[in-house]
Amino acid sequence: MLRDQFPILQRKVNGHPLVYLDNAATTQKPQVVLDAMNDYYSKSNANVHRAVHTLAGEATEGYESCRSKLKQRYNAERAILTSGTTEAINLVAHAWGRAKLQSGDVIVLTEMEHHSDIVPWQMLSEERGVELRYVPVSQDFTLDMEAFEHALDGAALVCVVHTSNVLGVRNPLEEIIEKSQAVGARVLIDAAQGLPHSTVDFQSFGADFMAFSAHKMCGPTGIGALLVTQSAFDEMEPFMGGGDMIETVTIEGSTYQTNEHKFEAGTPRIAEAVGWTAALEWMESFDLDKEHSRLIDIASWVAEQLRGLGMNVYGRHGEHDAAVVSFLHPTINSEDMAHLLDARGFAVRTGHHCAQPLLHRLGISGTVRASFYIYNTREEAEALVEELREIVEKFA
Amino acid sequence: MTYPEALQELVEEFQAIEDKRERLEMLFELADEVVELPQDQWDDETRVRGCQSEAHVRIGIAEGRIQFLSAADARMVQGLMGILTIALDGLTPAQAVLIPPTFAEEMGLLNTLTPSRSNGFRNMYDKVMTDLRQNRGD
Repeated sequence: MLRDQFPILQRKVNGHPLVYLDNAATTQKPQVVLDAMNDYYSKSNANVHRAVHTLAGEATEGYESCRSKLKQRYNAERAILTSGTTEAINLVAHAWGRAKLQSGDVIVLTEMEHHSDIVPWQMLSEERGVELRYVPVSQDFTLDMEAFEHALDGAALVCVVHTSNVLGVRNPLEEIIEKSQAVGARVLIDAAQGLPHSTVDFQSFGADFMAFSAHKMCGPTGIGALLVTQSAFDEMEPFMGGGDMIETVTIEGSTYQTNEHKFEAGTPRIAEAVGWTAALEWMESFDLDKEHSRLIDIASWVAEQLRGLGMNVYGRHGEHDAAVVSFLHPTINSEDMAHLLDARGFAVRTGHHCAQPLLHRLGISGTVRASFYIYNTREEAEALVEELREIVEKFA
Repeated sequence: MTYPEALQELVEEFQAIEDKRERLEMLFELADEVVELPQDQWDDETRVRGCQSEAHVRIGIAEGRIQFLSAADARMVQGLMGILTIALDGLTPAQAVLIPPTFAEEMGLLNTLTPSRSNGFRNMYDKVMTDLRQNRGD
């Protein structure tokens, strides 16, 4: 059984079986990922790309196999390994944004973005005088596409979240990319929440940049990637200087690598790359679409039950949305709710979920969020609803 | 040092509870001990920084004794304030500043609370102690 491959799911928390429902924050790791990382450190640990000895060769192969796997799985021309989604987006801001954007240029963002797809652009805007336009979110939890079309006028870059980490709503990316391309704008997709639930053919998708993290798809923390089209890659200038990203260094100056290494200065995350490769290979052992379909059924059922308990639920739980249920009770504080759940072994998230502009639009300061992933069961969802029923009866 | 008698009793009561949920429920009940600081008096001076929820405290002194007013939007934070209310009741500022923050840990509340909430508690404790020292004239 898939669930049995996750050692952490066997543990108890506060005397109760762990029900881990904070998957939009990070997912748990199957044994194969733990083994791969342990094997790397036990047998092959060395630095990459430099020495000729056997261990260095194995380490290099392990690291580069992650890039190869990403390129193959997502059909991408370029895959730059980063520390995660946040660094990937910052890399675009520094390496592409600083090279291409100047005062008066326009970046289109949405109110649905995670802070990691807002703050780097605000910093660039302050530095370069770039104009930021935000597409509002409607009361039905979707982007105002009419406003999006207006915002596109003169845009050089469009940054949009694939799937909201608060609402689970998947945005109409195909339409967004098509309309952005029509005005000549580059498109960056923050796919941190999207790719764990679905796969994509990057080249036919049409976006120029796609950022995501390993740890939200059963891989290790500390590693992620930026997929880039060759034409956008050619417009990027080096951002972080150091070892591994250079071709030659003299007192007079340096020349740079021409491949992805140009953007991977310093010793990279080798064990994490090895672990991520194992996770990506492991994810091919089951049907992700089928699992997603099962999870969205669960999330939609939970949402309906919670509405029945008097909760406000934020999201729509459509076929292509993520299995995320954000909710609030009218009288029970969300932090109190999460602590009460934790006391019974349920791990959920509370707070603003690093998406304060979205919450401001919704007129709230935070939610309780239960997010489901491939190892979660219907029984766990039923247990959550029962626990919440008890909490409401006792504390409302 | 030893705690004031009422606080010592609370420490022992929490220590007797093994179940985390029951400890939380007891903490929630202690929220009723708070002498409420009305919302129209909340400002930057009263705000406890580092708390995940909105939390405000104000120290007053009447006839040499502490008047501790507080409020929060989470029942749990109010419970922590309730403990401080009991701990500070009837003390002079000079006596109160001698209370160490260790009681929360001894009550098992720092295990009960998330790290951020623990930090929030410590920030609240530090703010109260700083305000008390200012009232004492330190």
